[in-house]
Amino acid sequence: MAAAAVLVLPLVAPPYHVLLMLPFMAYAVILLGLNLLFGYTGLVSFGHALFMGIGAYTGAVLTTHLGVRSLEVILLASAVLGALVAAPVGALCVRYVKIYFSMLTLAFGMLFYTFLLKFYRLTGGDEGIRVLRPSLLGFDLGAVSKIDYLAGPYYYYSLGVLVLAAICMWRIVHSPFGLCLRTVRDNPAKAESLGVSVTRYRWYAFVISAVYAAAGGALLGPPTGNVDPTLAYWTHSGNIVFMTLLGGFAHFFGPVLGAFVFIFLQDTVMSVVPYWRLIFGAILAFLVIFAPGGLMGLFAGRRAGEVSRA
Amino acid sequence: MVTGNLVNILMGGIFHAAILFLVAAGLQVVFGVQRIFNLACGSFYALGAYVGASAVNAFTGAGGPPALFIVPLALAGLLVGVVGVVVERGLLAFVYDRDETFQLLLTFALVLMLEDIVRLTWGTAPYSTSALYLAYGQVNLLGATVPVYNLIVIGASLAIALGIGWLLTRTVFGRIIRAAADNREMAEALGVDMRRVYAKVFTLGTALGTLGGALVIPATAAMSEMGIELIVEAFAVVVIGGLGSMRGAFVGALVVGVFRAVAIAVYPELEMLMIYLVVIAVLVLRPRGLFGRVAV
Amino acid sequence: MNNQTKEAHMETNRREFLKGVGVAAAGGAVGFPAVVRAQARKGIPSDPVKIGVMPIRAGVAAPVGAAGQRGVEWWAERVNKAGGILGRKVELVFEEESNPKDTVERFRKLALQTKADVIVGGISTAVGLALGPAAEELKMLWLSWDATTQKGVEETMPKPTYSFRSVDNEVEAIGGALLTAKYLKGVKTIAGINNDYSYGHDCWETYQAVLKRYTPDVKSVLELFPKLGVTDFTSHIAAIQQAKPDLLMTSFWSGDTTILMKQAAAVGLFKTMKACFTTGGGVHDSLKKEFTPEGLILGYNSMYFNYAGASALQKQFVREYKAKYGEYPPYECDHGYFTVESYKAGVEKAYKAAGEWPSKEQVAKALEGIEVESLSGKRSWREDHVQMCSFFQGITTHKNEFDFVTIDPVEVLPTTRIMKPSTGTKLLDWINATFPLKG
Repeated sequence: MAAAAVLVLPLVAPPYHVLLMLPFMAYAVILLGLNLLFGYTGLVSFGHALFMGIGAYTGAVLTTHLGVRSLEVILLASAVLGALVAAPVGALCVRYVKIYFSMLTLAFGMLFYTFLLKFYRLTGGDEGIRVLRPSLLGFDLGAVSKIDYLAGPYYYYSLGVLVLAAICMWRIVHSPFGLCLRTVRDNPAKAESLGVSVTRYRWYAFVISAVYAAAGGALLGPPTGNVDPTLAYWTHSGNIVFMTLLGGFAHFFGPVLGAFVFIFLQDTVMSVVPYWRLIFGAILAFLVIFAPGGLMGLFAGRRAGEVSRA
Repeated sequence: MVTGNLVNILMGGIFHAAILFLVAAGLQVVFGVQRIFNLACGSFYALGAYVGASAVNAFTGAGGPPALFIVPLALAGLLVGVVGVVVERGLLAFVYDRDETFQLLLTFALVLMLEDIVRLTWGTAPYSTSALYLAYGQVNLLGATVPVYNLIVIGASLAIALGIGWLLTRTVFGRIIRAAADNREMAEALGVDMRRVYAKVFTLGTALGTLGGALVIPATAAMSEMGIELIVEAFAVVVIGGLGSMRGAFVGALVVGVFRAVAIAVYPELEMLMIYLVVIAVLVLRPRGLFGRVAV
Repeated sequence: MNNQTKEAHMETNRREFLKGVGVAAAGGAVGFPAVVRAQARKGIPSDPVKIGVMPIRAGVAAPVGAAGQRGVEWWAERVNKAGGILGRKVELVFEEESNPKDTVERFRKLALQTKADVIVGGISTAVGLALGPAAEELKMLWLSWDATTQKGVEETMPKPTYSFRSVDNEVEAIGGALLTAKYLKGVKTIAGINNDYSYGHDCWETYQAVLKRYTPDVKSVLELFPKLGVTDFTSHIAAIQQAKPDLLMTSFWSGDTTILMKQAAAVGLFKTMKACFTTGGGVHDSLKKEFTPEGLILGYNSMYFNYAGASALQKQFVREYKAKYGEYPPYECDHGYFTVESYKAGVEKAYKAAGEWPSKEQVAKALEGIEVESLSGKRSWREDHVQMCSFFQGITTHKNEFDFVTIDPVEVLPTTRIMKPSTGTKLLDWINATFPLKG
């Protein structure tokens, strides 16, 4: 039913709400990856803005400096670059757990942010780089107005990417690999004794989550038309962790729900009251204390598709 | 004059280190005992800055002698540390039995809330104590002109460092803290009421941050989102020094402060970038940092 | 009766208007003069005009956002008391300017959901670069307060229809260099401390380029770029002392200006060198006499609250602002005021031609070349959608009745002299051709 609503939305809803779905879909992709790391592997990254930034800037550099407009190429390049950076970064980070892991990822995220800001001749500095309108599946839709483009073809394209990403992730978590991840999360010692290399599996999860974050980041660029270093700031990393917790990390679709609620809640609250950070901080505090299972935890309980937590 | 320059640069670095130490000390004492990395330490620092400035402005506005401004300043900074009790009892106490990362997230929630609370109360215009910074004049140190207030801040930082050292090694409370940091279960088994220890420790950590903010404010100004900016530097300090170690906070602050000062004088481009690289290098090569005793 | 009221009721029979005002005044009516409501003006909707306002609310630029908002609010109150725009009440709708991605989303909300008639705001450069194309795509009239640099002008909006941009940001640096050449003799070496972003870099480059046109052998001995939001400059000051320049130039405009000034005074920095604070007037009332010496160049951007030649309008604004907020208004107030006042003038001008409430395109056309009486004096929109006004810079002095410094003498520099004449011109080429100024 929800699926049907999402499909017909551009036809019935006012354009602003359709446009609001675009960052939701991008974040949903990002969160699917983040939750592989958070919910299924037990590692909380406070630096995933690094990969969101890589994805976004890839799209910008490709369209503006290299004349490449195909969104397929952009997504692929973002994923590959995300993986290439995640490989060494992840290798370093997964050797540590819990707080140290979170802090190390935060450090890497801020390193990238500082790099983007300081090397302005390369990265555009605080002004960032433009993102020109990408072509979708080979179709150059330059003649269409930007709003029609975003609320129409780009919407469905993003939706397609999200569905594909979700299907892939579903297969991943329900595979033996996914089971290994959960074992690594719940009982690393046992995992080792079973021959499962804990750090190796954490590394796999890290790289996969980075690929998702980069792809989602690439989707964030075109609607704004510009990418800038704030996309890599540590509070952006904090926000996506917030979204994951909000939706419920223990359920496959939790983070997607979290992204949805967060985006629409933020939209409503920001227009009504200037002190929205206070409200959101309070919501996060409430979640952590009373509802750590998030919205899914409150409503769904134990069902098929849930990530079992010991 | 070369010595003058050198002294200048060093004093600048040490002054900055003094600021960082106060924030980092608060972080360390909380992490050491409670294993909570308090992302809101920068926000407490900011709170201390705003409250301290308000106290001083009220003091001088009511006719208090400017030369004594440091009294209401320090008092205000210390007293507002009581916010720590509220936060600890009202929020953190609920999540002690949870995963560490939930505690981290709770402190992130605090960052957001405190940011708006400060804005609600003091607005967004930069807030400071006018010219009182200059009230104590300057001294000439080997050819360099150093404001006396900077020396006071450095001295206070040093005194606090020594005070904490004394607290940890010579008092019962200090021994309890160190025992709890080393082995929580054992300490509890020996009859230590961890709830009360946690409350006191967190309040101490908060008060260190707020006091630091208050002491520094005459030399700078309180600005919107300063807490969010500061956490990154404080984080560098505790990583380099070693998580949970007070000595680490001291040395780490010196390293970051002096390093930054030298970088600015010699190779300004790199500044913050170098700090992050050092942080990453430390976390990779020697994750315990210089003095950390916490096992990874 | 002031000019605004006159313009708003151009079409109304004067006697009827006076009667209406009399009734309203006598009845102590708040808001609408009865005559305007009763008279259904041809082609004018009765619902309010929605003006989207996007101030920055957090971070170092938050005070700037607040100032712009206050300027707009003051305008709106006066305009509504006088009957609104062509009889339509003005309604302000606020959305926050934050980072570019979120701001573009709020902008789209104002355009698509709130259906604003015009959007004013835009302070940060990165945000400006993103909003321009968004405004064009949405066919949304956008009047920027402050956000622009060289890149913005040359690349993203070469021929805008709906976007109206603020003055080129480097103008203050140009002014600073002119004053340096005029008032501070013997400057052979300079150091620069500017924020590490486009505005800081561009100002430093421009300052040097213009100063070189007057003192060709002037040399830079140190350039520092601390990030926005740094609150401690003791190390930077130590580096500056080591470099021993004749003059220190800075384009700081936020709280860091005050911190720099204080920490510099603590070591007597400006006893050994001169200084040019191109934009420090943004925090002018925090520059207390105790730590701000006389003899520095200080720029107040486009409004100097204490200008002796200020209009009655500015004097009234300054008075009422001080009474309400307890501080003196900075320049952003007038950026805010000008955008909405010019909008009103544009609507009225377009209405005369169209005979009904004008479309956004018609208003945009009407705005080109329009001139209005803003708080600080006359301001206008150039044909290519760039703001034209005057900049106020001078030498700091303690001879005033405040506890902070003011400037005397005051140089009034119009953008006709210190801003390049069109967006197509390359800045450096224009500088080399124009400076030294003749006459």
